[in-house]
Amino acid sequence: MVLLENDSFLTELTRLFQKCRTSGSVVITLKKYDGRTKPVPKKGHPESFEPADNKCLLRASDGKKKISTVVSTKEVIKFQMAYSNLLRAHIDGLKKKDKKSKSKKTKATQ
Amino acid sequence: MPYYQTWEEFARAAEKLYLVDPMKVRVVLKYRHCDGNLCIKVTDNAVCLQYKTDQAQDVKKIEKLHGKLMRLMVSKETHSGAMETD
Repeated sequence: MVLLENDSFLTELTRLFQKCRTSGSVVITLKKYDGRTKPVPKKGHPESFEPADNKCLLRASDGKKKISTVVSTKEVIKFQMAYSNLLRAHIDGLKKKDKKSKSKKTKATQ
Repeated sequence: MPYYQTWEEFARAAEKLYLVDPMKVRVVLKYRHCDGNLCIKVTDNAVCLQYKTDQAQDVKKIEKLHGKLMRLMVSKETHSGAMETD
């Protein structure tokens, strides 16, 4: 699992989407993160850790390659804008609903 | 593990579940371009809410919910009343 900076994560995520266009899936996981880097101590051991409240962890994978990044309050605005644009740009293979205009049928009237 | 039929219900349930215990909940997004579908799951390992779609119009909704939950996670506010409504 590679932990990246926000910008590198977005670059790599773009690459994951591009790689999976012909087959496979892109899985993105989002979770609140309290900043701990050590495992939770067993009973009896003092927990000398101050949980942070302003971070979240983002992971992405195409089944083989795994990437992750941590986003905190200071970065979230910039990151979220870039991330939304990325999702909207790449998740484009879905059906478009077309109620108003009639669906064009190819007629062989030539 | 039911798939919700309407986006509205799913979004409401997802946000509610998150607010119960933010540290427990995770959001999973799975996109398959070859199959043309997008699936979102919100779970706290006890309750699992899922929504699946193949409609382009749902992408914006899903992406907005994702962003909203991300902002909730990094904010220090403990209740949703303090968040600005879009």
